[in-house]
Amino acid sequence: MKTDNVKREREQRPAGRGIRQSMSGLHIWAGLLMGWILYAMFLTGTVSYFKDELSQWMRPELAHQAELPDPALVAQRVADELGAIAPGSPQWSMRLPDGRTNSVYAFWRTAGAEGGRRAFGEAAFDPATGGKVTARETLGGDFFYRFHFQFHYMPVLWGRWIAGAAAMFMLVAIVSGVITHKKIFIDFFTFRGGKGQRSWLDAHNALSVFGLPFHAMITYTGLVTLMALYMPWGERTAITTPAERQQLSAELNAFIQPGKPSGQAAPLASVADMVRQAQERWGQDAVGRVTATNSGDSTARVAVARGEAGRVSMSPQYMLFDGPTGRLLETREGVGAAAETRGVLYALHLGRFSDTVTRWLYFLVSLMGTAMVGTGLVMWTVKRRQKLADPEQPHIGFRIVERLNIASIAGLSVAMTAFLWGNRLLPAGLAERGAWEIHLFFAVWALTLAHAVLRPARTAWIEQLWAAAALLALLPVLNAVTTDRPLWHSVTEADWVFAGMDLMCLSLAALHAVLALRTARHRPKPRTVPAKGRGGVIGGALEEGRS
Amino acid sequence: MMHLLSFVLCLAAFAALALATERQQHDLFGRPLSPAATRLLRVAGTGVMLLALGVLLDWQGWGLGLVMFSGHTSLAAGVVFCAAIGLASARRRGKPAAISPASRRV
Amino acid sequence: MMSLIGPVRRAAPVASRIVAALFGGYALAALGSVAALALPMSKPQAVLTGMLASFAIYAAAVVWVFAARSALRAWAGLLAAAAPLLLAAWSVW
Repeated sequence: MKTDNVKREREQRPAGRGIRQSMSGLHIWAGLLMGWILYAMFLTGTVSYFKDELSQWMRPELAHQAELPDPALVAQRVADELGAIAPGSPQWSMRLPDGRTNSVYAFWRTAGAEGGRRAFGEAAFDPATGGKVTARETLGGDFFYRFHFQFHYMPVLWGRWIAGAAAMFMLVAIVSGVITHKKIFIDFFTFRGGKGQRSWLDAHNALSVFGLPFHAMITYTGLVTLMALYMPWGERTAITTPAERQQLSAELNAFIQPGKPSGQAAPLASVADMVRQAQERWGQDAVGRVTATNSGDSTARVAVARGEAGRVSMSPQYMLFDGPTGRLLETREGVGAAAETRGVLYALHLGRFSDTVTRWLYFLVSLMGTAMVGTGLVMWTVKRRQKLADPEQPHIGFRIVERLNIASIAGLSVAMTAFLWGNRLLPAGLAERGAWEIHLFFAVWALTLAHAVLRPARTAWIEQLWAAAALLALLPVLNAVTTDRPLWHSVTEADWVFAGMDLMCLSLAALHAVLALRTARHRPKPRTVPAKGRGGVIGGALEEGRS
Repeated sequence: MMHLLSFVLCLAAFAALALATERQQHDLFGRPLSPAATRLLRVAGTGVMLLALGVLLDWQGWGLGLVMFSGHTSLAAGVVFCAAIGLASARRRGKPAAISPASRRV
Repeated sequence: MMSLIGPVRRAAPVASRIVAALFGGYALAALGSVAALALPMSKPQAVLTGMLASFAIYAAAVVWVFAARSALRAWAGLLAAAAPLLLAAWSVW
C-alpha cells in the first residue's frame, strides 16, 4: 500500500527473472513494436466517434439539418432513385438519416455482375430530394474511420491483418501491464509531478488504470469486429453448405441475400409503408436501414432493420416484407446467445447507441487511451536516455524510436489537421478530389517524419507541436473564409456540428500549445540533479532531453 | 441532468477515495489522517460510487447503464487525479493551496 | 566460429519463445475455435463461440509463454493445452 512500489520494483531489478520482470519485458516490447501503429489506430479511431459530424463538416454545401426528416418519406425517395440508377440490382441497402447525418448513404450491387466479380456502387443521397448529393467529393470522416482498421495504399485485407496483429499486441500489452503493475490498482492516486521518468511512468499508469475497462473492452471488441477474418477455422470446418452460410449470416447482420430472380417484372410496393410499420413496432426514430433484394422483380424482398440507437447490440432485428405486395413475411428480433454476445461486443466498440453525452465520454476516454499509448512510447526513450553511455551520441535504435515517436505522435496531429485543410482548400473541380485529400494527409505525415529526422529531437517536438497548434487554431478562420458557415453564424443558427467542430479545433490547438510550451520550458538538466516539480497530466510534458 | 448527477457522484466518490490514500493525505494536510477517518472516506467513496451506478442502471438499464457508468468513472477519476496534482504543485510552490472542503473538515 | 556460439545460445531461448508466442499461440487459439464446435449448441452459435473465445486463448498463451520458467516449459505447456482441444476438434472434423 505504500506509494513507492515502482521504486522498489526498480531496485530489485537485477534479482532473477521473476514473473513481474518477464511480464514487464513483454509489456515493454509488445507495446513498443506496435506502439506507433496503435497510436495512429487509437487517435483516428477516437475521432471516428464523431465521424458523422466530421463528414457533415467536410461537406459544407449540405445545409444544416434543423429537423429530422420523416424516415418513411426519405426511404421512399431514395428507393425510387436507386430503382432508377441501379435497375435490376440484386441487392441495395441504405442507412437512413438520424440526428447526426444529413445525407443517406447507400450501396448497391450492379445487375449482371453476378458470377464473376461482384460490382458495387455507393453514393450519398439528399434526404430532401432523393437525388445524389452534390457536394465536394470527399471521403469525409470515413477516411479516419477506415484508416483506423485497414490503413491505406494497401489491399484492404492486408490492412485488416496488420490492425488485427496490432490489436493482439495491445491485448497482450494490457494483460502483461496489469500483471506487472497490479499494485497500482490499490493505490492509484499517487502521481508526483515533474520527476522526469517517474512522472512519465505515473502519467502512463494513471491513464491506463482510469481507462482500463475501456481499453480492455475496445481492444477485445476491436478483434471481435473482424473475428471471422482472423479466426475462420471453425467456420471453415462447420459451415459448408450455402444454407448453413445463410443461417450464420442471418445471425450477424440484416443484409438479406438475394435468391434467384424470376425475370418477371413487378414494381416494388410502397417502401414508406413498410418503414411506417417498423416505426410502429420500434419507435419513430428506431429504423436504421432498408435493404432490398431483386427489386423490380417478382421475387423482391425488403428488410427494414432496427437501428443501433438506444440498444447496446448490433444483432440484426428486422421485418421482412414481400417486395411486390408489401406483405409482412417475418419479424426477426432475436439471435442465439453467442451471436448476441458478439452483437453486444460489436456495439460496444462502435458506440453508435450513444446519446450525445455518452458519445463524448467515449471520445474523452478513448483520447485517454491514445495518450496512454503515447506516454508509453515516449517513456521508452526517457527511460533509456538515462542509461545511454553518451547522451550526445545515442545509438541507432534509440534514435529511430525517438524520431518515429515525434512523427507518429506530433506529426499525426499535423497530418490529420492538414487533411481538414485540404478539404477546404483543394479546388472543387479537381479530378479524384477525395483521393487527393488523402494523398495530402500522407504527404504531410511523411514531411513530419523527414522534419523529425533532420532536426534535433527536442526542437522537432516543439516545432511540430506548434505547427499542429497553429493549423488547428486557424482552421475555424479558414472555415469562416471558405464557407458561409463561420462560428458566429453556426452558433446563432444552433448548428452544433459546425460550432462544435470549430470549438473543438480551438481546444485541441490549446492542448498542443500547452504541450509545446511545456516541452520548450524544460531545459535538459545535468545528471543526478533532481528536477524541481512542475506537475501536469503529461508529467512535465514532452521533455525529452532530461535525465 | 441524470448524466450530470452521476458524474458529480463519481467525482465525489473518487475525491473521497483519493483522500483515503496516504500520499494525498500527506500532500494535502502534511500528515496522515486517523485510521477511522481514512476508513470512513473509503466506505463513503465506495458507497457514493455504487449510488452513481444505481442511478444509471435505474435510468438506462444494464447495457447502457454499465457503459455510461464506465465512462463517468473513468473521466471522474481523471479529473480528481488532475486536481490532486494541481493542489500538490500549488502547495509545493509555496502558494496557499486552494482549500478543498475536505481539508477544512479536519 | 566460437564467437558465434555464445550469442546464438543466449538468443535461442528468446527466439524460441517468440515463435511459440506468435505461432504457437495462434495455432492454439485456432484449435480452440475448432474445438468449440464440439459444444452442445447449434452450428452457427458454436462457430461464433469459438471465434469469440479464441483471442482470449491467444492472449493467455502468449502470457504463459513468457511467464514460463524456461522456453522448453513454455512449449510443453502449449502442447499440454493443445491435447484436449485436439481431441475435441477431432470429434467434429
